[in-house]
Amino acid sequence: MLPLSNILLWSLAGVLFGSLISWIPGFHIFNIMALLVAVFGVGELMPLQAFPFFAIGAIVAYAYVSAISSVYFSVADESAVFLLFPTQRYLLLGRGHEAVLLYLIGAVSGTLILVLSALLIFPKVLPPIYQATSPYITYFLTAIVLFMFMSEWPKEGDRGKTPLQRLWMAWKQILAGMFVFFISGVLGFLVMNTNLLPTTSAYTRLTPMFIGFFGMSWVLLNILSNPPMLEQVPDDRVESSPYNIAKASFGGALGGTIAAVYPIITGGMGALVAGHMTSQRGDDAFIISQGVNRVIYYVGAFTLLFLPNLRLTRGAAAWLVSSMYTPKSYSEYLAAVGVILLSAGISFLFTYYISKFLARSFNVVHIRKLSYVVALVLIIISYVLTGPMGVAVLFVSTAIGMLAAAFNTRRSYCLGGLILPVLISMTGHTGAFMHLLGLG
Amino acid sequence: MRGFTHYISGLAAATFFPALVADLRMGILIPVVAAASAYLPDFLDFKFGKFFCRRDYEIDPAPWDEKKHYAPKLVKVSELSEENRYQFFAVQGRVSEIVERGEETLVFKVTDDKGNVKTVEKPYKSIIFRLKDDTGTVTVEAFGEDYEFFEEEFGEIEVGKEMLVFGYVDVDEDGVRMVVSDAPHPQGIADTIARAIEEAYEKGETIIKIHNVRLPGDVYRRFLVHLDPPKREVRVEMGPIVTPGGVSIGGEVPEYRRVGIAKVNVPFIKTYPKPTRIDSFSGPEIAFRKAEFRGKTVVKDRFLPWHHGFSHSLTAGFLAGVIIYALFALLGYNHSLELGLASMIGYWLHVFEDQLGFMGSNLLPPITKDVVPGFKLGESGSGLNNFSTAWLMIALMIWNFNRFTNPRPIPIADWKLLLLLIWPSIIGYAVAIIKSFKIRREVARLMDYYTNLDAFEELEEVGGI
Repeated sequence: MLPLSNILLWSLAGVLFGSLISWIPGFHIFNIMALLVAVFGVGELMPLQAFPFFAIGAIVAYAYVSAISSVYFSVADESAVFLLFPTQRYLLLGRGHEAVLLYLIGAVSGTLILVLSALLIFPKVLPPIYQATSPYITYFLTAIVLFMFMSEWPKEGDRGKTPLQRLWMAWKQILAGMFVFFISGVLGFLVMNTNLLPTTSAYTRLTPMFIGFFGMSWVLLNILSNPPMLEQVPDDRVESSPYNIAKASFGGALGGTIAAVYPIITGGMGALVAGHMTSQRGDDAFIISQGVNRVIYYVGAFTLLFLPNLRLTRGAAAWLVSSMYTPKSYSEYLAAVGVILLSAGISFLFTYYISKFLARSFNVVHIRKLSYVVALVLIIISYVLTGPMGVAVLFVSTAIGMLAAAFNTRRSYCLGGLILPVLISMTGHTGAFMHLLGLG
Repeated sequence: MRGFTHYISGLAAATFFPALVADLRMGILIPVVAAASAYLPDFLDFKFGKFFCRRDYEIDPAPWDEKKHYAPKLVKVSELSEENRYQFFAVQGRVSEIVERGEETLVFKVTDDKGNVKTVEKPYKSIIFRLKDDTGTVTVEAFGEDYEFFEEEFGEIEVGKEMLVFGYVDVDEDGVRMVVSDAPHPQGIADTIARAIEEAYEKGETIIKIHNVRLPGDVYRRFLVHLDPPKREVRVEMGPIVTPGGVSIGGEVPEYRRVGIAKVNVPFIKTYPKPTRIDSFSGPEIAFRKAEFRGKTVVKDRFLPWHHGFSHSLTAGFLAGVIIYALFALLGYNHSLELGLASMIGYWLHVFEDQLGFMGSNLLPPITKDVVPGFKLGESGSGLNNFSTAWLMIALMIWNFNRFTNPRPIPIADWKLLLLLIWPSIIGYAVAIIKSFKIRREVARLMDYYTNLDAFEELEEVGGI
């Protein structure tokens, strides 16, 4: 194991790196880390054993600081899909900073839950539970997808003149959701199983698709709707209650843990399940629980790589790191837990001050103008990471994301881009599906 | 209970059958049908039953604009009629005449949270003018806080000024006029509900559909419907603007158009001791039915009459099990009997879990004709009850997966593992039971108020009604 001073040094470098890039819309820490490794390598710039600690610092920073892009620029990854709507409303009402503070309350709570769980629960409880349930992951995944479809709440079936009209208005939305899931799935299948994108983009091939589903489509909606903006209030004030915070923390932790431990079950899906299990209501509770959820989903998942008696590789960062060095001892595990606390403290301050700064200066630029800039940045990112075909994938996935918005259906159906190909692969039907699409 | 709690119960039910667990281990995912079956009662009600429910009265305080799908609907002057009284609309036109500008003292009554009525006096400014579009002319009136807002928005109102006026429709001896406001007037809702109750007393049953008030920006005007049987009145209160997540973002309506009260000329009782809150998602349907209560003929309410009927019965669960068994047997699935049984158990678990709440279900139709009251362990949205149940189901799944795997991944005795897994649920249920005593006491106290027929008679004797 590295000396403690080196661990601190490299984890601080990770936090700094993560904090500097995570507030920029469209920058996902996993992609940037992959890019860093591809361009600079690891063995030369930093010792291999330091890489996991650098990564954990960067991931903690991402889990905190990405709240800025989610709230102020409405661009985030899938795990923030439920976060977008309430935070969007907060921003439009001039309460963007409050949304960030609520998120930070959740993130701090999530960090504390994660650290306590990592010290007291994970080593004893996770390995046997995981062993007992891991053969049934496809069951859980299929069940969650089916539940997403079955539980879609028809929003516009009330005002039809006849029962059949009402039924059709309601089912139009439900069927559109299924369609969005399916075409997202087909796109994801093509991206994952064909040479549509260059092989050099192995670590980042899903990036343009997800930017399109969840980022670009939202940015375009900002441009098209041109929402009226109230002046942002930079005051340190939140409207919530200790009960709401406790309840949201519990729900967020539950969802984050499910997503962290089980593959393919993403943060957004974990949040959906946990939100129902704990019967969550209220925008404040939503945002707090997302803070908890995202910390546990990202940081918790990566921490599992350190757990000697489990050593699960969850998430792109864990795969990237484990391909070079996998921590082996409990000392490294304990050091990682300490690094989480330290990184969280620094990331908290970063997020808080960036938010304060943005809230003060946000009124200068209207969200529509800002959205043009963000859209351009997203296209550039997609091009740099995956070339011209990546930009084509970005446009197609953006259209799918917009379709979900147009039919007022769940945007999380776009997760079909990940879930459908994985389900097809897990059940051994990849070849048949390729054949069906005329590709094999 | 919430949908996922039911759904996960079906997932758990399937794991009690070793043959189905073996299938899952091999990647055969058909047992997930049991989870779908457990969710089916709500799916049938909310995705089908709701849309076929009869509507004798349809209350739409703020009709949606057909293009934008939110209120206020932009209409032409000629489209406004007496039937639209108290509904919220927008009209675009040019000021053709200023009829009157005034400054007086307004005297009005307000009702506080406890139902006490007090008289308030406030100085106010007002304006009455005529607005003309290509279809006709309407009188527009703005006064009090609405006038101040109106002037802030448009500056001084002068003849020839082009403007978009939004407000509720009112009717006086001169016909239809628009009253500037940012919400419908609650009186229209109260009047219609009162009429529906009275008609139910005559005809046996009426069903009303109350639509919500959706405003631009995906926010909603909250309003509350109080049925107050002892006072024989329907009180509707306009609330603030709220987000779909229920956070109030202000926009309180002025006191003089906050409350609408309508008297009811027949005795009625309330079966659930809380006001009905209407904001995001969609508005409720309420059935008013003539019934006998303590030897008297009254009208009683039934919230969401299309919910918790046949779909939420053990009979329907049995049928679902049989159909699933037959379907999968026809498809050649080897474990269709186990699947049918798991689906039936999942369905029954749904019915049982809902029975823990207030609403109850029609348990064994055709033997039972109406809902059997629930056990009142807590409301359907209770986080504690939902979590306790969902956790219990997760625990049972892990327990079953372990029992039916050889060698066992968790090598400890079954009873010990079960106990280790379910303790959070045991604690959760224990807390829920303790809390339920308090809830029951509170409900009993309120129900005593809401079903107090003696109060009717006393009021009648002293001429209070």
